[in-house]
Amino acid sequence: MPEIILENVTKRFDKFVAVEDLNMKIEDRGFVTLLGPSGCGKTTTLRMIAGLETPTSGKIMIDGQPVYDSSKGINLPPNKRDIGFLFQNYALWPHMTVYDNIAFGLEMLKWDKGRIRKRVDELLALLKIEQFEKRYPAELSGGQQQRVAIARTLAPSPRVLFMDEPLSNLDAKLRQEMRAELKRLHSDTNSTFVYVTHDQLEAMTLSTRVCLMETGVLQQYDPPLTVYNQPANKFVAGFVGNPTMNFIPAKLVKKEGKQVELTLLGKKADFTAKEQPGECGSDLILGVRPEFLPIRDGGPIEGRIYSTLPTGMETTVQVTCDGIMMTGVVFGSVDFPIDSKVNLDLTGDALALFDAETGKSIAFGSAKII
Amino acid sequence: MTQTNQEVVKEPLKYRIKGFFSKPANILLVVFLIALIVLSLLPLITMLTNMFTVHIGTEKKIYRLPVGSFTLKHFERLFAGDDWSRVNFWTPLINSFIVACGSGVLGIAVGGTVAWFITRSDLKCKGFISSVFVFPYMMPAWTLALFWTNMFQNSKVGGGNIGMMESIFGICMPEWFVYGLFPMIIVVGLHYSPFAYLLIGGILKNMDATLEESATILKASRWTIIKRITVPIVLPAILSTFLLIFSSGFSSYTVPVFLGSAVKMFTLSTKMRALIQAGYQGQGYIIAFVSIVLGCLILGINQWFTGKRKSFTTVTGKSGQVSLVKLRGANWPISIFLIIFTVFFAIIPLISFALESIIKQPGNYSFSNMTLDFWIGTEGSTYETGMISGILLNPTMWKALGRQVLLALVVAMIVGTCGMLIGYACVQRRGTKLSQAVESLAFFPYLMPAMSFGTIYLAVATSQSFKFLYGTFGLLVLVSAVKYLPFASRSGVNSMLQIAPEIEESALIFGTPWVTRMTRILFPIQKSSILSGYLLPVMSVMREVAMYTLLVPYARYLLTTMLFSFNETGYAQYGSAVTLLIIVVIIIINNLTNKLTGASFDKGIGG
Repeated sequence: MPEIILENVTKRFDKFVAVEDLNMKIEDRGFVTLLGPSGCGKTTTLRMIAGLETPTSGKIMIDGQPVYDSSKGINLPPNKRDIGFLFQNYALWPHMTVYDNIAFGLEMLKWDKGRIRKRVDELLALLKIEQFEKRYPAELSGGQQQRVAIARTLAPSPRVLFMDEPLSNLDAKLRQEMRAELKRLHSDTNSTFVYVTHDQLEAMTLSTRVCLMETGVLQQYDPPLTVYNQPANKFVAGFVGNPTMNFIPAKLVKKEGKQVELTLLGKKADFTAKEQPGECGSDLILGVRPEFLPIRDGGPIEGRIYSTLPTGMETTVQVTCDGIMMTGVVFGSVDFPIDSKVNLDLTGDALALFDAETGKSIAFGSAKII
Repeated sequence: MTQTNQEVVKEPLKYRIKGFFSKPANILLVVFLIALIVLSLLPLITMLTNMFTVHIGTEKKIYRLPVGSFTLKHFERLFAGDDWSRVNFWTPLINSFIVACGSGVLGIAVGGTVAWFITRSDLKCKGFISSVFVFPYMMPAWTLALFWTNMFQNSKVGGGNIGMMESIFGICMPEWFVYGLFPMIIVVGLHYSPFAYLLIGGILKNMDATLEESATILKASRWTIIKRITVPIVLPAILSTFLLIFSSGFSSYTVPVFLGSAVKMFTLSTKMRALIQAGYQGQGYIIAFVSIVLGCLILGINQWFTGKRKSFTTVTGKSGQVSLVKLRGANWPISIFLIIFTVFFAIIPLISFALESIIKQPGNYSFSNMTLDFWIGTEGSTYETGMISGILLNPTMWKALGRQVLLALVVAMIVGTCGMLIGYACVQRRGTKLSQAVESLAFFPYLMPAMSFGTIYLAVATSQSFKFLYGTFGLLVLVSAVKYLPFASRSGVNSMLQIAPEIEESALIFGTPWVTRMTRILFPIQKSSILSGYLLPVMSVMREVAMYTLLVPYARYLLTTMLFSFNETGYAQYGSAVTLLIIVVIIIINNLTNKLTGASFDKGIGG
């Protein structure tokens, strides 16, 4: 069964390090997203696994078979790796009809005409593009082109499917639709998906595991909710979640067992960790997700409304407290007058404490302002 | 609703006209429309009428008809199907076709192959090969033809002059190799192969690599990818490149002069000139007309082809990382072959011109036979007749060079400025009939081969009402300006299209007057592409022969026509020296402009 293993994979372009010492295991039938800001090495990683790019060093195994091994000089070309690849701009061949585009891969496998016809019809039906069979790519809309590209990639039934930001060229509504269909497709096709995106929402909603990278270095590789609730560091915490996590500077007063005493926003606070906190310096940062920062009369933190952004279902409220901008989310649409005074509270048990210097998370838990 | 409908009353015509002309773009369009009708449509009509009239001299004598009377005799003679018509029309037509097709195929094969090696393989010395390969395109096409004769002429063929090949290696090439269709195809094809290289290479470079990568992943082999993906995608570009080379080859005048005259082989262009000079103007004009019709036809085919539903002119994507094909063992042999090949056609010609210009007796390359007299000889020491001194000390030469450079600069100023203004006005009023009319009229001269274009203006200048133009510098300026306008207006339109209208509008809101908007905002933004609109005509004028050959008052009026008179009268040394001089001037101009502005000839549209 196709399981993909990366060991110490490094890729350099001249002096620029695109990917550094990457270790990762992608389980069979998983849906893994490579997430990160642009230029973080996620596309390079994907292209290396697919064989479109040659790593500088390391080892890549697909299904127990080494496809790349710098120490043994193994480097299988992409066509020997039994994979499918969906490109960001679809890469449909402009001179071939939809049918010819989808049939191409099957022709390469030397299937007979009747069998190709049957398989292409199957895919046309699966992706609901039967009526476009005889059209050229230029005559299709972005969403339709996308479906053709997916059909072409799926045609030879690859066991591993790589996707490089496949939804980024679609409009918001279509993207939402395709997201649901991709998830459906994943369970229908029974294959392993590796998916590159810079959209944290896509990563959160689609994948079984998220691999978050920054400047070529792996930051965290965990299921989406773990990444959300227990970010490995400040970068991960800030990248995942929308609106982003609030970072409140804090000073360590005393650390005793699972209890941490802090000062923040000119007040004293008690942090109760779920597990024994890690080592840290005296400068800390308390990370609070907007949903754990409710506006409540009599709350211990005083602030002034900077702006409110109601979306209908919920309202994002920006508040300045002690010179720090904080974001809270209120359910329903509430409109606060600008510059009015409000009080905030800290709730929830998934607050995070980071070491200000290293940015690493040292504890997760709840906090109370005294 | 009904109320507002009633209020829609048309403005009085006076105000509408005033409103129309309050926009600078409209004024420009009207001015250019009138100018272009006068300068390109009227001459064409004059030429058409000349196809049906009797001219003074030979025609009057033979047909025994009064000068200026209507006649169909020119058509009868040219298309009769007898020997005269075969020699003067059908054979040259077939020759032109063979040269055009052959050079099209050769140009694409050579240019396309080099383009593929440079963009898609791990060939060695890419930088060197690429820049040297493009170099001959900067030189006039006839330099290669001249080089060919210098190299291969021998005592057994043509004029019997001894070339380098015979003198150094003692090898006599057969006549078909030295003169005629074969060398014409080689020379025209190779001259335009850099053009094919730039076009096809550009597309290969910009072509989205994922198109090929996705085929790789679907298990297609290298060869299958080239055959099924790469070639079909670049095919439209290849086809339109072929048509461009075809039409250039068809209308080429200088190459057939060098490579055909010695064996009395004519193409349509050389025949056109021969007929006109022999006094058969009417038939010459008919040939010019045939060439123009063919030019239109080719453009039509090109547009029909690129307008098809499968067509795709720009195929670009984000992925720039192409995995290069490893040539392995073949790498060095191919690299070395390409280096020798490019050096032979780009650098050796220069050396050969230098050599040819310093030997006393052609074919003898010993030191004792060398002299600098053809360059700096003074009266008495020179070997020639008809020149009083070596070319560097010769006032006739300097005057001719001065005129050509002046012509180039004047034409460039006119064409560059007009091109930019046409671009501005057409883009501003894009979609209107007026703008379309101006844009297509400005492109119209492109369809006419240079020789035919010269012929048209000859018809005008020899007509009664425009006699004052004949043989003047002004006529040359006029004809060049109209002929080179298509490229400049194209590049003007393209560069203006890249500027968002908001950029000018934001200045308009500040109350900036139109001239300031042009000079302070629009021009600086598109500096390099507008400057290439100025540079291209300079290069074209410096290389042009065909268009001027009929219009100059005397052969030594311009440097290029002077060179041809040397060739026709057999002063090979002077010919080589002047050729070298022209190349040097062109290189200086190109480098100067490149240094000053960043614009460069090989970055322009070419053609």
